[in-house]
Amino acid sequence: MEIPFIVNARKDTGLFNSKVGIWLFLASEVTLFGGLFSGYLFLRLYADYPWPERALPVLPGLINTFILIGSSVTVVFAWAALKMREWRKFQIYMWITLICAVLFLGLKGIEYNAKFHHQAVRLSSEGAVQDFGYLEGHVHYGKLDENGQLVEVSKEEKKENPEGVFSANKIIFKANELTFALKRPAHEAYVKEILKQAGDQHTISLVGDYRVIDEKELHAGGKNRAQLEASAAALVVADGAVLSIDDLDEMEEAFLQARAHDKEIRTEFLRASWSWIRDEKGIEDISNLVITTDLWKERMAEDNEKIKNLMLSAPGTVRYKIEPPLTLVWRPDDIPKLAKTELKLRDDTVVKGELQPSPMLLGVDAIDFRHTALRAEAEGIDPLEAIKQSWILTHKNSQGENELKKAWICHQAWLRHLTEKLDKTNEKKGLEGEDRLVPTENDKYRINWDQMVGYARLDYDPERVYQALSDEGSGEKLYRAGLFDLGGFAGADHSNKNYHFPHVEIPRENVGFTSTFTPKWNTYYAIYFTITGLHGLHVIGGAIVLGYYLFFGRKMYDSNPEWLANRVEVGGLFWHFVDLVWIFLFPILYLM
Amino acid sequence: MADSVEEIKKAKKLYLVIFGALLVGTVLTVAVATIPFLDVGGHGFDAADAVLGLIIASVKASLVMLIFMHLNHEKPLIYFFYGVGIVMAFFCMWLIGWSKSDPIQYGNSEKADGFYNPEKAATNVHGHD
Repeated sequence: MEIPFIVNARKDTGLFNSKVGIWLFLASEVTLFGGLFSGYLFLRLYADYPWPERALPVLPGLINTFILIGSSVTVVFAWAALKMREWRKFQIYMWITLICAVLFLGLKGIEYNAKFHHQAVRLSSEGAVQDFGYLEGHVHYGKLDENGQLVEVSKEEKKENPEGVFSANKIIFKANELTFALKRPAHEAYVKEILKQAGDQHTISLVGDYRVIDEKELHAGGKNRAQLEASAAALVVADGAVLSIDDLDEMEEAFLQARAHDKEIRTEFLRASWSWIRDEKGIEDISNLVITTDLWKERMAEDNEKIKNLMLSAPGTVRYKIEPPLTLVWRPDDIPKLAKTELKLRDDTVVKGELQPSPMLLGVDAIDFRHTALRAEAEGIDPLEAIKQSWILTHKNSQGENELKKAWICHQAWLRHLTEKLDKTNEKKGLEGEDRLVPTENDKYRINWDQMVGYARLDYDPERVYQALSDEGSGEKLYRAGLFDLGGFAGADHSNKNYHFPHVEIPRENVGFTSTFTPKWNTYYAIYFTITGLHGLHVIGGAIVLGYYLFFGRKMYDSNPEWLANRVEVGGLFWHFVDLVWIFLFPILYLM
Repeated sequence: MADSVEEIKKAKKLYLVIFGALLVGTVLTVAVATIPFLDVGGHGFDAADAVLGLIIASVKASLVMLIFMHLNHEKPLIYFFYGVGIVMAFFCMWLIGWSKSDPIQYGNSEKADGFYNPEKAATNVHGHD
């Protein structure tokens, strides 16, 4: 079948059909990305936390902008080559376009990867504003010693012997009892994990028989409840059975069947009671108010008495004891509720025992007090006073030291220098009132990774920091990462031996909230990954289409080159649009 | 649409000029955001920087649309399609701006606890504190 108007234009539109199609599609794309940019605007305008302003490393974004602009030119050149019937040139330009797409995605991958490995912690402590200081950095490694206590493991040690090593952001809990909730039949992953960690050194066994009255026996009559419960038909899993997924499945099934049975009986009785109150008592209005009347309450009490002996009433939980007690290591995400002697997993399994010291071991590359300051201001407290109470400034390591506090003191020297510099400009330009230049919130309350490195290099001496910044200084310079500094290409490079990042042990009770730099951390990263992820998918889709023209276009070029040129034009229009979106994304996400 | 060989040759030169302009635009975007000397408005990032950044981005985007996507000489139907898309996109953004004037907003309660306070909202229908 011949498709009409794909080479020549239609008279009414003046366009070939696929061009009309692609523009309709692009119009819908404009609306789609417009909606996402609006989402960004909304999240930023209404953010109730300090927005991560200019938080992304600029260089990868800048290179990617160059790459996409370059590919926009090569794709239009590829089209021009086809128009001039230069197949070889078309191939070259298309190849460059595809290479650009791969480079773009590769760089994006590096950026994403850095975010997935970069940890953020919001601290929690006593104090006027419950802390809200933030630390950023890389989590170090740890493993359990023979006493079940966390010990740190260096990267080199981990490489040599990776067994039992985990990233040191875990809940360590010495467990002696597990209680599974049978109404949540989704224990498999956790049971597997527990059995794996238990190995063959520990026995996890059922406490008491798990029995559910047999439905047939119950309805056959002739036995009282105690006899029914003691009957062989009621036994599901026997006391002392070792924990297994099959056993749990069996108990879950028995429980769920019994619950369905009980539900049916309850419904039957309820239905009868509704009819009774409506037909015999003549109460037409069966609204919710009826259930508050004494008449209804009495009837329900009677019903409950009758129902009691008709129900299977299967126990909803099963208890296992662990001998000897087992030290389990959990991801914090798995534990919605944590107390000193009890924790709850996400499948409602309750673990009893004793919480062990579970500090987070972090190499810190940034400190951020903006949220503390924001909360302090809302409470009418001096931000610096609130900051002073933060765990970041009050804690001490095993040697009684606090490098973060030293960095903060150095930062005050840096800030003093900046303020003086801005004041000089204010004086020179005669700026007054609101026009005066003042340090930003970022300047005042945030220490970036390169500042951390710089302060450490000057031995955390605030005077040296100040001197290094002033003109008549000592000749020393405070290290700041320039735009082209590869040490911070996609975030602080923790493997660089020239950079020192303070190492801290954050007690679990002071870890308020923690996440890598992923959508979980805040709405900024949520919208960042949404928009750039969708944009990345467009790059992939565009590259596939353009690649198809390049690798399978020769036949069409020989038979109908104008058709191929039109196709490339349409694909090129999509590619330009992808570039267009990035032109806005780059400044908005990286520079604002 | 440039269709003759001569026109395409001419257009290719223009594409290279635009390529240069886009590169310069990109460098400029980064420069105004990172070099203190070129910082507009107050010290550090503020509304003036946002406006300037968006103006540069819009100029760059216009060059891509007009020259690479040939919107400088297109048929009316395409202007219509694209125009509708852009209007819709701006409409979304306008809605967000408009929501700022919603009286039900964060902090309009007496206690500033973020909950809606009808009494205060009644005297504050325009959302201005």
